[in-house]
Amino acid sequence: MKVKVVTNILEANDRIAAENKKIFDEADVYVMNIMSGPGAGKTSLLERTIKEFSGRIKIGVIEGDIAGTDDAQRIEKLGVPVIQINTGGGCHLDANMIREVTDDLPLKDLDLLIIENVGNLVCPAEFKLGEDMKVMLLSIAEGHDKPLKYPLMFQESSALILNKIDLLPYTNVDLEKIRKDSLSLNPKLKIFEVSCKTGQGIQEWTNWVQTLVK
Amino acid sequence: MHEVSIAQGLLEIAIDNCSKQGYKGIELIKVKIGRASGVVPDSLLFAFEVLKVGTIAEKAVLTIEEIPVSGFCTKCNKNFTVEEAFVISCPLCGATSFRIETGRELNVDEMEVN
Repeated sequence: MKVKVVTNILEANDRIAAENKKIFDEADVYVMNIMSGPGAGKTSLLERTIKEFSGRIKIGVIEGDIAGTDDAQRIEKLGVPVIQINTGGGCHLDANMIREVTDDLPLKDLDLLIIENVGNLVCPAEFKLGEDMKVMLLSIAEGHDKPLKYPLMFQESSALILNKIDLLPYTNVDLEKIRKDSLSLNPKLKIFEVSCKTGQGIQEWTNWVQTLVK
Repeated sequence: MHEVSIAQGLLEIAIDNCSKQGYKGIELIKVKIGRASGVVPDSLLFAFEVLKVGTIAEKAVLTIEEIPVSGFCTKCNKNFTVEEAFVISCPLCGATSFRIETGRELNVDEMEVN
């Protein structure tokens, strides 16, 4: 017996993501899903962002990692609420993992919730979490071939943060090619050049975030 | 390796549909996977073989139909299909004004049950 099904395989995830979005909207908190390959500087960007908004915007953080609590410990030192999710081998966060921790965060007291996804330039881009916006980082030393090698994340993100810009003199990276290819894949992509080490460009980034949150 | 969660998802959909309609076993599950979906067919097949054990889909065969990336260029008014998983300009006229029509599919299409 042949049975026609025609159901999207990610439907279950998308349904939970929509529920998460409702919970976040009811608590009036803006949610950002931050993605990148490992070591691009997601946690460093969080540290810079939290320090910059200290006393102005109330931030909470969900840290996604395969194992360990190193990132959550770094964020906790800054005095903001943080939850660590360990995926135990999983290469991305999914909507259900987020749903399970929403009760553990003081959502109503927050203006901005930042979800730091598992370091991976591929899979996180495919799973909606219930966020308002996806943001990706690329550290410039990763190379200018990345947009065309990993197109999906560039297409799904609203902003691209080019981190470690202070390393520019020491690399052969073609920044213009990154810009050109990224914008070809996603003409609406907002691009920031920053260095989380020196603080260069952070102000432009946080000014933009401010316009989203308030 | 998120093919494991994809395989889990498609198994749940198939088993759910099968049970609801009162059938006892699944013989075949046909899925459509777009080339831009990021899913690696071989990994998906492997994950499916592991996860189906002990379910009513234990004897099921998974077949994957790969859907290429295609689109419509609004400048030259033509449809196009590409080999790659992405398009940055119309392969026919080079314009960047186009819309993608297929390639992101991730669907359970049909199955055979008994």
